[in-house]
Amino acid sequence: MEALHPRIRLLWIASWAIGALVLAVGLAAVDQWFVDVPTAVIVGVVAVAFVIGIAYAVRRYQVWKFELQPDALYLERGVVTFVETAVPFVRVQHVDTQFGPIERVLGLSSVVVYTAGTRNADVRIPGLTPARARDLQDTLRELAVESEADDAV
Amino acid sequence: MNRLHPLSAVTYAIQYGFMWLWVPIVLVLVLGGIVGPVSPAWAPIAAPVGFLAGAAYGIVYYYRFGYRITPDTFDVSSGVIARRSREIPYGRIQNVDVRQGVLQRLLGLAIVSIETAGGGSTEASLNFVSESEANRLQEQIRRRTAEVKDRRRNRNRAATPSDRPDVDAVSSGDGEDSAVEAGTAGDEHVSDPTARNDRETGPTSEDRVVEPRRRRRTRLFDLEARELLLYSFTSFRPAAIAAAMFVFFLATDTVLDLFVMTAQPLGGPSAIGEGSPTSYGVLTVVSAINAILITYLLSVAYTFATYYDFQLGRVDEDFVYERGLLQRYSGSIPVEKVQSVTVTENPLQRLIGYAGLWVETAGYGPESSGGSQSAVPLARRRHIHRFTENLTGVETPQFRSPPPLARRRYLVRYSLVAGLLVAAVFAITQFTALERWYLAAVVFAAVPPAAHLKYVHLGYYVGDDHLVIRRGFWSRRTTVIPYYRIQTVSTRRSIFQRRLGLASLVVDTASSQTFVWTTPTIYDVDLEDARDVNMTSRKRLQSALRERARDDDLGMSADFT
Repeated sequence: MEALHPRIRLLWIASWAIGALVLAVGLAAVDQWFVDVPTAVIVGVVAVAFVIGIAYAVRRYQVWKFELQPDALYLERGVVTFVETAVPFVRVQHVDTQFGPIERVLGLSSVVVYTAGTRNADVRIPGLTPARARDLQDTLRELAVESEADDAV
Repeated sequence: MNRLHPLSAVTYAIQYGFMWLWVPIVLVLVLGGIVGPVSPAWAPIAAPVGFLAGAAYGIVYYYRFGYRITPDTFDVSSGVIARRSREIPYGRIQNVDVRQGVLQRLLGLAIVSIETAGGGSTEASLNFVSESEANRLQEQIRRRTAEVKDRRRNRNRAATPSDRPDVDAVSSGDGEDSAVEAGTAGDEHVSDPTARNDRETGPTSEDRVVEPRRRRRTRLFDLEARELLLYSFTSFRPAAIAAAMFVFFLATDTVLDLFVMTAQPLGGPSAIGEGSPTSYGVLTVVSAINAILITYLLSVAYTFATYYDFQLGRVDEDFVYERGLLQRYSGSIPVEKVQSVTVTENPLQRLIGYAGLWVETAGYGPESSGGSQSAVPLARRRHIHRFTENLTGVETPQFRSPPPLARRRYLVRYSLVAGLLVAAVFAITQFTALERWYLAAVVFAAVPPAAHLKYVHLGYYVGDDHLVIRRGFWSRRTTVIPYYRIQTVSTRRSIFQRRLGLASLVVDTASSQTFVWTTPTIYDVDLEDARDVNMTSRKRLQSALRERARDDDLGMSADFT
């Protein structure tokens, strides 16, 4: 099983921190216009959110695993709900590599695998180095073409 | 390029006329407030100008809209200023629907919609064409889709000629068809696969083979009056709630008067605003019953009108259906596009021994709810089971239940819900004159039966070629998924499930019904069982695909009665 790049934790912490900041701004707004919220409470809430965020990111990183099995791409993920997904190569419609602004700063990239399904129609593997992402994309594409089925949706 | 029916020009003109009517009015009103010389009083003059401009646009739109049937694609080009031309390959078409409203039926018009799997909406919509043109299009597209399929199959056959002889006899359910295919058409196609491409130019011997086949329409199921009534009275449509609300908002005073009037003989107040707490209580109860009754009747009427004169038939390897009292729908679903089949039963229907059968495709159906079509709205349960077995070839399922631990889980879950409910009632009593919040605790009595009912209706069966999943008490759904239709399989475990060693298995298919119905899921089975089913499904998906590649079996039979 392959783990994600350790730097992904920074990404998750960063996005959680942004959430915590939004929360802080929201609380400040409530304090300003509606009810008095003591500054200590705001700081406390934000600090707690931040700590939870770090713990969550660390745990999430530990849990996130993926693997190319003979017939399918297999992933394990989820802190609260642990999900094991198998995406058979025959079912892959197309494969993308993507990266957002924070990912770009951290030098990371994601691979997104699309299927024709409805619930897990796009499966995202975050936290890959750009080289690994391109490599994985190529592999997946080759495997998908190789195992193409003739039962078009 | 063909044009739409000339009457569409009129409807487009009116439609765009009324749409554009508002542009100059708003413009005049807004500008009138800002710029001096423009006066809001110009609005009556501006409005007709807008209407005329809109009408002109509508007429031009009509002239710029064209569609065409080509050998390989169905082309639509539209747009006045920005042109869009779209080519839809026949092989990708999921279904072709024809819809007729009341007015359109009087005028002999119809709307044709073409659905493919991609995108969130109808791929091409022709409003309006004449009735005969609609039928011609439907038939033509169906025929060409079948041809594309044949061509593809023959190519495959040509690639692996060794498998051919025994395949035809097995794969096609209809002996007559297979004889024709294997005897003449099949060989011809193999010897010259390209000949099919130029069928447009000259009639070849193949035409003779295709012609008689395409006209044969077999009746599979007609919804009889008795079944229609049973279906109307035993099913409930959530849309009726919206309709009831709409009626209420439209005629609030009348409805309130009616409510007061019906409650009066039973001890309700003589008018709103003059009554005692008891009479208000009576009014509330009576009105609630009234509202439920009205909603139910609306639902009955809606179902009746929608499924009036429902017919299901087959033409070649397509299902064709027709239904509707005021608005007439007709559509076709290629059998090979069917993703899964679901049997639905609500408690009432279970009581009288009836059930319904639905087929799910990846396209978007005329009911915006998704690509699920009722194949048989309601019939006796044993008929439905026979239909399902003939349609999918699934063996009679021997359902396995989740471990009793799952029931304990539901017990806890529903207790929490009941607790929340009591808490909410307690909060209400704190802010209103109501007392005795603890009476709400009676809801706890419903918890054990609810948990038990949820538990006993869960079941799954791992068949040789299909996975069968049953769930739900209020609307019990039994979904039959052929392994080769599986897209992804996931094992999910929430923190609570992990504690109990349970897991849920989510089996995703390409049917788009999941926005209304949840993805087929086997809930709360032992982790080992879930993993086991997961691996089995994956293995059988691979072997089923290999088998299909070999013999090109449809896996679904179009002749299921």
